[in-house]
Amino acid sequence: MGERRLLLQPGPHLHDTLSTREIMWWVSASIAPAFLFSLWVFGLQVLWLIISGIAGALAGEYLVNKGRGQHPTLKDGSAVLTGLLLVGTLSPGLPLWMPAIGSFAGIIFAKMLFGGLGFNVFNPALVGRAFLMACFPLSMTTTWIAPRTAGIPDAVTQATPLALVKLQGIEHAFTTLGVNASYYTKLFLGLRSGSIGEISVLLILLGAFVLVWKKIIKLTIPLSVIAGLLAVSFFSGIPLFHLLTGGLWFGAFYMATDYVTAPLMPRGQIIFGFCIGVLTGVIRIYGGYPEGICYAILILNTLTPALNHWFRPVRPTWEGAPS
Amino acid sequence: MNQLPVLDIRLSFRRGGVHMDDHKVTAAMPIERFLPKEVVLPLSQHIGPEATAIVKRKDTVTRGMLIGAEETLGAPVHASVNGTVKSVIRRPHPTLTEASAIVIETNAEATDPQFEEDPEWRRLSQEEMLTRIAKAGIVGLGGASFPTHRKLRLPPGVRIDTLIINGAECEPYLTSDHRLMLERTEDLVKGACLIGRIVDARQIIIGIEDNKADAAAMLQKTIDDFSDTMPRPWVRVCKTRYPQGSEKQLVEALANRVIPSGKLPMHVGCLVQNVATAIACYRAIRFREPLMDRVVTVSGKGIRTPKNLLVPIGTLISDIVLHCGGMTDDACMVIAGGPMMGRALSRLDVPVIKGTGGLLFFTEDQIEHEMYGPCISCGRCLDVCPLGLEPNQISLYTEAGLALETLPFGTRDCFECGSCAYVCPAKRPLTQFIQIAKSALMRKTALGIAVRPGGPHG
Ligand code: SF4
Ligand code: SF4
Repeated sequence: MGERRLLLQPGPHLHDTLSTREIMWWVSASIAPAFLFSLWVFGLQVLWLIISGIAGALAGEYLVNKGRGQHPTLKDGSAVLTGLLLVGTLSPGLPLWMPAIGSFAGIIFAKMLFGGLGFNVFNPALVGRAFLMACFPLSMTTTWIAPRTAGIPDAVTQATPLALVKLQGIEHAFTTLGVNASYYTKLFLGLRSGSIGEISVLLILLGAFVLVWKKIIKLTIPLSVIAGLLAVSFFSGIPLFHLLTGGLWFGAFYMATDYVTAPLMPRGQIIFGFCIGVLTGVIRIYGGYPEGICYAILILNTLTPALNHWFRPVRPTWEGAPS
Repeated sequence: MNQLPVLDIRLSFRRGGVHMDDHKVTAAMPIERFLPKEVVLPLSQHIGPEATAIVKRKDTVTRGMLIGAEETLGAPVHASVNGTVKSVIRRPHPTLTEASAIVIETNAEATDPQFEEDPEWRRLSQEEMLTRIAKAGIVGLGGASFPTHRKLRLPPGVRIDTLIINGAECEPYLTSDHRLMLERTEDLVKGACLIGRIVDARQIIIGIEDNKADAAAMLQKTIDDFSDTMPRPWVRVCKTRYPQGSEKQLVEALANRVIPSGKLPMHVGCLVQNVATAIACYRAIRFREPLMDRVVTVSGKGIRTPKNLLVPIGTLISDIVLHCGGMTDDACMVIAGGPMMGRALSRLDVPVIKGTGGLLFFTEDQIEHEMYGPCISCGRCLDVCPLGLEPNQISLYTEAGLALETLPFGTRDCFECGSCAYVCPAKRPLTQFIQIAKSALMRKTALGIAVRPGGPHG
C-alpha cells in the first residue's frame, strides 16, 4: 500500500449535518413567505427596503471584520438574517436608505462591538430598529401604507391599528377601523397596514411551523410571550385585538427566540417569554408607544445572563453516602 | 421480522442522547476468520501495569501459550497464533503511540491446540472462576480494556443484585457484538449466568437496542430452551439511542437507577459486562481458554469490502486492510473503535488489541473540514448531554484560558461520549475542549491553547 496521508482528528467523527449557517438560512427562508406577501400587499418598494436592510448589515459586519483583522464572517448568514429581521419590523413607506442605516448600526453596536456572533447581549435587529426610532421618529411612525385589497396599492398613509387605538381610544378607533369578525380575519390573513414582516399572522405561523419541524426553535418562548400578553390584555378588554396586532407573532417567533440573546433552559425561557409578553402589554396599554414588543424583548435580553445563571441543568446527586 | 421478546416499552435512559443513522451495513455479514502472517502483541493492552515478556527471539509458541506474565493488577498476554517469536521490541501502538510488543511469525501449517473441557466447570467456586478469568487475560472488550477480574472482584461491603450484559452496541457502524449475539448465543447466555454467579447477582438483564431485534429474539429463544439456568437472564429491548451502551445510561434504562456524579454502577448495586467479555469469560471458565481472538467490524465508505472479522489479537491493521480489498482512493481517515468514541489512527502498522472493536475507514466527504465557529447558545448540547453537563460553558471557559474554572459545569463527570459535539451546529470540538479542561484540572495549571485552528476569534 502506497504512502497515504491519514487525517487525524479528535472524535466524535460523526456530526449532525445542521450547521450554524444552515440554521440562519432556514430562519431566513421560513420568513420569506411573509415578506413576499408584503411585497404583494405593499408593492415593489418592499423589495428595495429588504435589499437595503441586508446591504447595511453586510457592510457593517464586513467593515468590522476588516478593521479588526478577523476572518470574514459574512458567510455564516447571520448578518443577512439580521438585516431581514430588521426590515420585518419597519413600515413599508420608509425612505429606501433608512433600513441600511438601521441594520448597519444594529450590527455594529449590538453585535460586532460585543465580539460578534454569539457574544451579543441584545438582539441586533431590534437594536437597529430602536436606533432608527430614536433618529427618525417621524418617518418610523407615519409612513404606513394602506394595504391593497384590489388593484394597485394605495399610497395613502394609514396608521396601524394599534396606533389608532392609542390615538383615538378603543371605541373611536374601532369605529374607524370597522372592527367586526371579518376585520379579525383580515388581521389574521394580513390585509391591513403594518410592518413588513408582521402583517400576516397566518404566514408567520407557517414559517414558525417550519422552524419547529426542523427543530430549530422550540415553542417554549413564543407560547410564554403570547401567554404573558394575553394575561395583561385582559385588563384592556380587547385581548383578541392585542393578540392579532403589533408584530406580536413576528416578535415572539422570530425575535424572542434568537438563540444568542434568549435563555438556554426551559424554566428560564418561560420566565423570559412571559415577562416579554407582560411588558409588551404594559407598554402598549399604559406606555407612550403604540407597540411594545421591540422594547420588551430588548429589556428582557438584559435578563438572559442572569436567567442562565439561575436556571442550569440539574444533575443527580448522591443522597446519603459521602462522596 | 422477528418477534420482539419485549413488545411494549422500549427502555431508555432518562435525559439527552441523540438518534443518528446507524450505518450498520455489516449487520447481516457472518463473522469470517482471518489468519495473518504475523502478529504483534503489545504487552500493554489494558488499564494497569504492563505484562512482562517471558519468551525470547526464536522461541516456538503455540496458540494460547502464556507469553506476557501479569496476574495481579493487569492482564497477561497469550500467543494468539502458532509460530515463532521474531522479536521482542518496541512497536507503534494504537493508543499508547509506542509500546513493547512480542512479534510472532505465524506457522500456518501447525494445528491449533485443543482446550480441554473441565468436567467440574459447573461446580467451581467464585474464587476459582475469578482466577481463571484473570489467567485468561480477559479485559473489558467493549473498549474500556479494564481487567475483568478486577472489575468482578468487588470491594468489601459492595453488593451487586443486578448483572447487566451490554449488548446495546450503540455506536454507529459497529456490528461485532450483534454478530456475536447471533452466532455465539449459547456461549453468551452461559457466560452471563457464570458471571452472575461470581457476583451473586439476583437478576441478569441482557440489554439490546431495538435495531437488533433478531439478536434479542435469538437470545430469548436460547434462554427459553435452557431449563436449568438460575437465575434466568432477562432480555430487554432498549431504544436505539446513543449512548445507550454507556454503563451509566444502560443502568438507568434497564435497572431504573440513576448513578450520581463520581459513582460507579456498583454503587447502585449493578455491574455491567460487555457481550464479548461474557463469552470470553465462559470460554475461560469452562475450557481454561485464554483470550486470543476478537471480532472486529471493518466498515465505512473507505474500505472496499466491509466485513466482520474474527482475527487473532495482534493482527496488523494493514493486513486487515489488504484482506478487505484495500482502501478506496478517497479514504483518508482510519478510526479504531466506533465513530463517536474511537480515535483516528496516524498509521496502519499498528495491531488490533484486546479493546479494538472496530476499524472504520472514512472518505474525504465524511470529514468535517470546516472551521468551528462561536457558540450561538442554541442549547442543543445541553439537550443531548445524558449527564446534564454544560459543554457549552466548558468550551467557552477553556477557550478563554479558564479551564480551571470549569468544574461547576461538570468537566470531571464527562465520559466523552461526544453527543454534544455531534449536535453542535457551530461544529465546536466540545469533547476536546472538555479533555483539555480535564487535563488542566488534573495538572492544576492554567492553559490557554487553541484546539483546532480556526474560529473567527482565534
Ligand atoms: S461528551 Fe461529555 S459533555 Fe458531551 S454529551 Fe457526552 S457526557 Fe455530556
Ligand atoms: S451546541 Fe454548540 S452552539 Fe449550541 S449551545 Fe452548545 S456549544 Fe453552543
